[in-house]
Amino acid sequence: MARILCVAEKPSIAKAVANHLAGRARAEDVRGIQWVKNYKFDYDFPRWGRSSVTFTCVAGHILQQDFGERYRAWKSCQPQELFEAPIEIYVAPDKKPVAANIEAQARYANVLFIWTDCDREGEHIGTEVRDIALKVNPRLEVCRARFSNIERAHIIQAASSPVPLDDRQAQAVAARIELDLRLGAAFTRMQTLALQSLLPHQGEPNKVISYGSCQFPTLGFVVDRYLRVRNFVPEPFWYIKVAHEKDDITVRFTWKRGHLFDRLAVVIIFEKCLIAKTAKVTKMLKKPTKKWKPLPLTTVELQKMGSRFLRMTSQEVMTTAELLYQKGWISYPRTETDQFDKGMDLKKLVEKQQQDSRWGPFAQNLVNGGFSQPRDGRNNDKAHPPIHPVNYVAPHALDDNRQRKVYEFVVRRFLACCSEDAVGEATDVEIDYGGEVFSAHGLTVIARNYLDVYPYDKWESSQNLPVYTVGETFEPTEAMMHDGKTTAPGYLTEPELIGLMDANGIGTDATMAEHIAKIKEREYVVARPKGGGAAGDGGGRGGGGQGRGGARGGRGGRGGAATGNDGGGRGGGTGGVQEFIPTTLGVALIEGYDNVGIETSLSKPFLRKEMEVQMKAICEGRSTRNDVVQQNLEQYRAVFVRTTQQINVLKAVSTVIPTLRGSPHRIVVVDRSAVL
Amino acid sequence: MASDLLAELTAHFNARHLYPTRSWLQAFLSSTRPNTPLPALKQTALFRLLATDLTVSFEQPLHTVFPQDILTSASQSRYLAGPVLCQLLDVEDIGRSRWSQVEAIESQERGEKTKGREIVRVVLGEEEQQQLAEKSKGPFKLLLQDANGLRVYALDLSGKCGLDTNSPMGVKIVLRDSDVRRGVVMLEPGRVQVLGGKIEPLDKEWKRSRKDRLMRTAAPNADNANRT
Repeated sequence: MARILCVAEKPSIAKAVANHLAGRARAEDVRGIQWVKNYKFDYDFPRWGRSSVTFTCVAGHILQQDFGERYRAWKSCQPQELFEAPIEIYVAPDKKPVAANIEAQARYANVLFIWTDCDREGEHIGTEVRDIALKVNPRLEVCRARFSNIERAHIIQAASSPVPLDDRQAQAVAARIELDLRLGAAFTRMQTLALQSLLPHQGEPNKVISYGSCQFPTLGFVVDRYLRVRNFVPEPFWYIKVAHEKDDITVRFTWKRGHLFDRLAVVIIFEKCLIAKTAKVTKMLKKPTKKWKPLPLTTVELQKMGSRFLRMTSQEVMTTAELLYQKGWISYPRTETDQFDKGMDLKKLVEKQQQDSRWGPFAQNLVNGGFSQPRDGRNNDKAHPPIHPVNYVAPHALDDNRQRKVYEFVVRRFLACCSEDAVGEATDVEIDYGGEVFSAHGLTVIARNYLDVYPYDKWESSQNLPVYTVGETFEPTEAMMHDGKTTAPGYLTEPELIGLMDANGIGTDATMAEHIAKIKEREYVVARPKGGGAAGDGGGRGGGGQGRGGARGGRGGRGGAATGNDGGGRGGGTGGVQEFIPTTLGVALIEGYDNVGIETSLSKPFLRKEMEVQMKAICEGRSTRNDVVQQNLEQYRAVFVRTTQQINVLKAVSTVIPTLRGSPHRIVVVDRSAVL
Repeated sequence: MASDLLAELTAHFNARHLYPTRSWLQAFLSSTRPNTPLPALKQTALFRLLATDLTVSFEQPLHTVFPQDILTSASQSRYLAGPVLCQLLDVEDIGRSRWSQVEAIESQERGEKTKGREIVRVVLGEEEQQQLAEKSKGPFKLLLQDANGLRVYALDLSGKCGLDTNSPMGVKIVLRDSDVRRGVVMLEPGRVQVLGGKIEPLDKEWKRSRKDRLMRTAAPNADNANRT
């Protein structure tokens, strides 16, 4: 009988998969680590026949990298030497029992069957396991399982069709690990040594000012928006409103031009309208319209929606989704794919949701003929399907509210995908009044369809419009010239930040939430619920009038985001959306690097985006680990050298920090004039 | 011969509603080589003339300048037959806030462009940089000047008259058949003929100071002097 050693990435997966394969597996303790178990059972693999299986796991990466002894201490070398200092790779001290367990099990095995998560990181962990195992048993056959959720049938399918490990993906991760280590250490030491003495000592004497090639562009986005808000200058504008009463309905027409920033121009136009006296209907269009159902759920979308509607941070959403995945309730939550494979039996997944009291009837409706194939998005990572519920779980069977909320969202989104678009009728009326175009828009929702199960989208009927005919003329009951003021944009919210990171290639869908958490932890930014108290600044440029949302562009009906032009004291209750404000340290770092005047400042996404593109190139076999590492080190070295040459520029910005002694968290406006 | 040429050129210009002073024509002729073929000479002359200041080198007849009382704001609407020759002194995009224009200029200075949410780095030479400059739709408020030096505001509400914030200052324009409201000329496509040309120093200075000007107009009282 063949002996098969299976290794998963974490204990929960090992347990779940082993139990699916074995029915009930016998768990043996592993010496030195109580949370790792070796599950023993027999299983009939199509490839190897009846086999004796040991199913164990690791816990993330086993190996660790660091510089050689000589370079490890902070002041042991010039930070620049870290660009080429030798790196040692060794088993992380706390992972020694894990490695020993693999070695012990591999010694007697014929096959190593790797069950790490199917993404780049998982591929790399798989190669770590392989290398450790091959060292003690060079004759091992090595393969891996391809799976994207922990549902029984899926797991059995994966067990019967092993594939080879993908070394390219592992190489990409290796390149990323080396670059993160070298760049992180070099820049962190350099900037900490340069700036540390300028920081206020808050009882924690040697504060590290860490650098990360993803963290900094992430911080850059936050600072960029912050400065835009701070520097914003409200400006007056003027516009014309026309109203007409017909069939007892008052129709409000809005100016096609929106508004103009010149009073004289609007006065002249308004006068033309008044002289014209009558308006003429130029367009009357009733047409069917649709609100499209959402696309299948990707990680980025889950994070954005999570922070917008579930009152959770993106990191909380991801951790929770991970737990739901490990328990087999939802599919793998790290995916870029927004199209379902045509071969997937989605109806069967819908069926499982029929028993729920909240969306059960809706699911039942889909099963009884209402089902419609989900829309296809443009992305397919070829590894995982969109995030979807794998099994039904009742709310009381979940551990906490977060899990309930995330599960509910995933289910509702999935059911919405499998439903029909919402259908309505749109009415558009356009009039010519004094040579200017004004329009009114009406909407009647005819069938809510997917909206019934997906409360996160809003689409509601508006006022009914009376019937107009093209060519009809009328005298408006009211024509008025109004004025208004532009308002500053809001501080960057979490969904916006995720959107920016995604669009600019900062981090992967799997790591974005971590980078955001990092810059909070480093005290480079402060997060607060949107619509909370006004920033404690006083004396901001341009004076008050910072109420945002205001009349225009408020996000459709989302509570507190509307109204409130009073600067402070906006009644909170905007839900869980977080907005980010950089700390003074955060602003100083970004401005400092920008002032050094490097074309591709570290605060900008360009360098990091390039690195991400090169990672993909490794995965696709167009580049190699070595080339990518060397190329990137060269680019960053140029930035490093330039920065050290102009270290005073960096320092100059940070000298404003001591004025904040005692209140590092308070948000203080960095007056640019003092800085520059 | 010289007087023949003078007549030829004068006729060439007058057909375009351009009436250069005699002294400008003479100075021009004395600067050219005598055996230049006539078509080339005409072209060069037009090019050079359009690059001069309208208030200096022109002697326009009465019907090609603005009427003296055009600025009367009491007049709701009056007809301007033209053709009036004028030059552009200033143009403002009044469809966008000045501050948003400042932000656009600043991101261009940093060599960045936004494509949706994506920030794209643009590494280009001066020339291309100019071409990439925002294409705005307007409407535009313009300041025009005739040969007598009279300055009049004009509005291009359609944004389609061929003049925008990328137009060169000093460009020569002929207006015809236009409506003047409250002392402001309403520009309409088809009634504005852009002859071309520019006044180099004026244009240079206008472009250089555009951002400052926008900032000052946006926040007349704020001290933006230290802002980079």
